[in-house]
Amino acid sequence: MKKAITRRFFFKKTSTAVIAGGAVVYGVAGVPLLKSKELLLRPPGALDEDTFLASCIKCGQCLQVCPPQVIDLAGISQGLGIGTPFIVPQQGACILCKGLPCVLACPTGALDHQISEGKEAAMGLAVLSKPETCLARKGENDILYELSRTTFETRLQALAETLTKLVPRLTFDEKKTISAELGLGNLELSGIPRIVAEMTPELFAWLKKYVAETEQTKTACRICLQTCPISSEQPIVFQAEKEANPESSKLNSVEKMRPVVQRTCVGCGVCEEKCPTTPPSITIVSRKKWQPQALKVKVQA
Amino acid sequence: MAASSPESEGAGMSELLISDNETVEQDQVSGENNVASGTKKLKVSKKSAKAKKRKGPGLRDVSILENPHRNKWRLIRWSFLLSVNFLFFASFYFDVQILEGSLSGSRLLGFHLADPFAALQMMLASQVFNINLIIGTTTVIIIYLLLGGRFFCSWVCPYHILAEWGETLHKYLLHKRIIKRNHMFNDRFKYFFFALFLLLSAFSGYTIFEVINPVAILSRSIVYGAGLIILWVVALLLFEIFYSRRAWCRYFCPVGVSYNLIGRIAPFKIHWNVKKCSNCKKCQRACMVPWVLKETVNMGAADYVVSGDCTRCGLCLDACEDGALSYNIRYLDKLI
Repeated sequence: MKKAITRRFFFKKTSTAVIAGGAVVYGVAGVPLLKSKELLLRPPGALDEDTFLASCIKCGQCLQVCPPQVIDLAGISQGLGIGTPFIVPQQGACILCKGLPCVLACPTGALDHQISEGKEAAMGLAVLSKPETCLARKGENDILYELSRTTFETRLQALAETLTKLVPRLTFDEKKTISAELGLGNLELSGIPRIVAEMTPELFAWLKKYVAETEQTKTACRICLQTCPISSEQPIVFQAEKEANPESSKLNSVEKMRPVVQRTCVGCGVCEEKCPTTPPSITIVSRKKWQPQALKVKVQA
Repeated sequence: MAASSPESEGAGMSELLISDNETVEQDQVSGENNVASGTKKLKVSKKSAKAKKRKGPGLRDVSILENPHRNKWRLIRWSFLLSVNFLFFASFYFDVQILEGSLSGSRLLGFHLADPFAALQMMLASQVFNINLIIGTTTVIIIYLLLGGRFFCSWVCPYHILAEWGETLHKYLLHKRIIKRNHMFNDRFKYFFFALFLLLSAFSGYTIFEVINPVAILSRSIVYGAGLIILWVVALLLFEIFYSRRAWCRYFCPVGVSYNLIGRIAPFKIHWNVKKCSNCKKCQRACMVPWVLKETVNMGAADYVVSGDCTRCGLCLDACEDGALSYNIRYLDKLI
């Protein structure tokens, strides 16, 4: 019995074909288009990008266990890897927690269970992407830099952060002088919220002036190494700057240093997060492998 | 964003249910199926029900507006579904470590669970066979072998409850003649999708389906917050409401297929007692998938609902006035 081709029958078959065809086209042609242009920074222990994308189940368990809550799940703007975990170091960097809970939480091994320590996490590599703004190269002290950018009216929160960095670096006498001036018994880290709360414009001006005279201002910024979670591995080494930097500021008579990233850097991104300059002078290149300096010169030549 | 419209549908649904309960007595007296959306409109709606009845097969389209005699299993199921998804939500927001992760991969009190279809895609795409993943998948397969395959769909899947409310809205719109008819696709489409996406992930080296998987997207949105991709789920829901009733679950969902295949051999099934059955076909009108009960109740092929698409939702149990349907375990009598 031959079935007459009615309009309904025709539309039914066409819509079926369109849906099936659409699925095939999406699968074959859509995949390369949807892939993210820039490589995202993955959590520690991620397999190479293609295998990682294929073996991540997109459950978000790494995100759930992350103590500093820095892992985010990719959305449609991050290309193909919808639901895959990534980290934006500037918004919060991986601190390479002890035991790497994110790796332990991964049910599929997309974060490789072979690694157990932060120093084995090959996430990427720190690169001095803006050497011209780097404070160490200019021979500037980071606390002075931050205080010079802090105004009393607008940046009290920033002041708390700066003081947190400052207090451990002060000598005993300097601490005594500041606490006497501020009317505090003892200058400790726990006293910082109170200092910020009781700050007046006059006191603030005095503090700025006094800090410029302290002992610690005689060294240039070393925040990237000081904050590094695996600083004992020496991922960043400071070398004396050979040629004079024309952009060096008038503020100092401090030796100019150049941070050089070593093989042990895993690319966690804390240096990028903590770098005092905006935008950060040191950034993470995801998935990048370390190359010796000599090799780099050769490649460039 | 996605939740706002279906929730309002849900509110509408509960109103309908309440009004239905009010008319239970009248219904039993008159012995007719009421299409009641409010006590005041009772007479009007009776007329329209009669008008529908004359049309014959069209009656099925307004089945949920007819009197559902009890809502026992529906309420149990909804509370189970909502609490499972709340546990996922609570694991992240309140750090309650009972059920961590999302529906594609999770941990129940520390034991790995993984969605079989996602795991299958990943194994094909990456050619990596991780022991935790295999353990998780096996656990889920065993759980649904015990619970009965697509039990997952109606008792766990968060998209299902939205689609269920969407279905109610669809039926209401049909009843009000705002949309003309329900467009049907071939129900074997999903098997084709299942095979297609497995092949595609094997050849492309990427879990392609997971990008568009509304179940995973919705589950992640519940736990970790919604992104723009949630619009895809909204679009699917709108398609279901205005064009084809429950299209995704019925015709397309490959996740459902994986549980469908498990469910075929799962012993936990709906039992049909032929002796008690008065052949009123109310169960078929209540059933969310039109072909599920046909094989058994229409054709009398088996004592159990054997279709792989049966989600063990219990709507037919609620609808049955004769007590002919019940949850039961197949082959249990033979074992004992």
